[in-house]
Amino acid sequence: MDGLGDLWAAYEGTFGLAMVNAMFALACYATLAAGMLSFAAVIFGAAGGFLGVQLVLHTALPLGAVMLASGLAGLAVALALGAVLVRLDGKWLALASLALVMAMREVVLRVPALTGGANGLSVPVRLPLGWLALTLFVVMIGYRGLFHSWYGIATRVQRDDPTVAAGLGVDIGRMRLVAFGVSGFTGGVAGVLLALLLQFVSPDTFYVHLAFTTIAAVVLGGSYHWLGPVVGAGVFTVLPMLFQWLLPDVQDVAEGAVLLLAMIFLPRGLVDPRVLLMHLTVAQATRSRDRSG
Amino acid sequence: MELLIAQTITGVALGALYALFGIGFGLVAATMGILNAAQGCYASFGALAGLFAADQLNLPLPLSLLAGMGFAALVAVAVDQVGFQPLRRRGGGMLGALIVSVAVWVMLDSLLGVATRQPGRSFPEDSYPHAVLRLGIVQVPAMQIVAVLCLVLVAVGVSRVVTGTRLGAAMRAVGFNAAAAGLSGVNARLIAMVTAGLGGAAAGLAGVLAGITSADVGVALGHGLMLKGVAAVAVGGPGNVRGTVLAGLGLGLLEAVGGRYLAGGFGDVAGGALLLVFLLLRAREAPGFAGLTRA
Repeated sequence: MDGLGDLWAAYEGTFGLAMVNAMFALACYATLAAGMLSFAAVIFGAAGGFLGVQLVLHTALPLGAVMLASGLAGLAVALALGAVLVRLDGKWLALASLALVMAMREVVLRVPALTGGANGLSVPVRLPLGWLALTLFVVMIGYRGLFHSWYGIATRVQRDDPTVAAGLGVDIGRMRLVAFGVSGFTGGVAGVLLALLLQFVSPDTFYVHLAFTTIAAVVLGGSYHWLGPVVGAGVFTVLPMLFQWLLPDVQDVAEGAVLLLAMIFLPRGLVDPRVLLMHLTVAQATRSRDRSG
Repeated sequence: MELLIAQTITGVALGALYALFGIGFGLVAATMGILNAAQGCYASFGALAGLFAADQLNLPLPLSLLAGMGFAALVAVAVDQVGFQPLRRRGGGMLGALIVSVAVWVMLDSLLGVATRQPGRSFPEDSYPHAVLRLGIVQVPAMQIVAVLCLVLVAVGVSRVVTGTRLGAAMRAVGFNAAAAGLSGVNARLIAMVTAGLGGAAAGLAGVLAGITSADVGVALGHGLMLKGVAAVAVGGPGNVRGTVLAGLGLGLLEAVGGRYLAGGFGDVAGGALLLVFLLLRAREAPGFAGLTRA
């Protein structure tokens, strides 16, 4: 039993990180499921993260209120950026969001009063993992609800074929803005959770590497079901640890290679409802054939 | 007045680098439909190869520039064949290509990080000309003239190749419709390799030139070029060499002259904001808006 306790102590941080990465991956999935590849979840995370840390440092708000405020900050930034970004052609949207992540780092560096500048900010509060697990659970329930709602179905239709969706009376611009809003709220909450988990935020916390991990988790896990990003985030949290142990010098190279291979050999990701549906249909057909024969 | 003129010239030289990078990026975007986020790494790799040529091999400047271009082109072709070719063969959407390019970016950045462990690598003093030309009241450092000369050569060369040669015709055909181009006897894979190589060489050239003026040749160099170069392409239009050159020069001018009035170092922010504004103005409307078309 002691061994299990040690194991938990050693991997508690990894487990927490996996959950936060899952939140970021879900934020990224919200836009990707609507057909928009966007790296902006990192920006929403920064908005939520820095605001949340300021609130923790300078007010006595309870953790729940801080998380709500961070989510709303992410939502506000997402709606402002989304209003612009949804009008862009897919490839340019992706690139513009990437450029925004790069430009944001300069902004963050230039307002040290809010962000701590290059030195970053330390957070003396420790995040109970129970909170984290509960939040992730609630968010997953929320995404599950959205997935099966009219909104979720309309989103998938307009991702597969915007013309059909428009013909069915779906307001595509509004759908996409809603997707950004969902992404923004999730990203904002994920941002403050990351800050509290690490007990430290700096401009590099919310930079290209987080964007990469996030998108890699969604691609590996699959962007056609809400469970995909969660699974992908788990894999993409454990994998880097493994690489750090096996190939400490070229850890990032190995991570990039995994994303590359996933993109080439598993373009729809690990969790693919189409494959699951196929297996179900085949199993059903076999069963009914066995029964009749 | 003299200060303003000097800043204008600095701005033009700076803009020349952005335009050079943008021409390479735009060529790849127009021919293969790939917005390659790893293009900035090619510039860093080029700068590093140029530095190696100048520092270790003591080669003169033109050869250092060529070394940077060659190495960057080599990396670009390798990345294209390993990363993008499988996607093209499968006929996947080009959003996948962007994800692949981000994966490549992270890999190359990490390799660069290993290669540049100790910071503060810069070109040795004697590896490039320091002469200052006096034209009336203005003084122009020789390296700024070299940068502008390089831009003129590359811009004229690329637009000549694209509009006036069989190779250029094949590139435009692949850019318009790769399958149709293949049917009419164009080797699309070869064209992709040539285009990637040309794009990489342009990025490498911009990288070496930027590296000479920077005190630290490393990862950040490519990031900066990438941000502004992409902005130049977004403004000028991918595949539009003249537009890219004008936009790049404009961006450089804005940074050099405007830098005086903005709190220092907001260049990257301005680049990002400008990119967004121009993308919006020139937005190819997303499907479902006005631009809805159907075969």
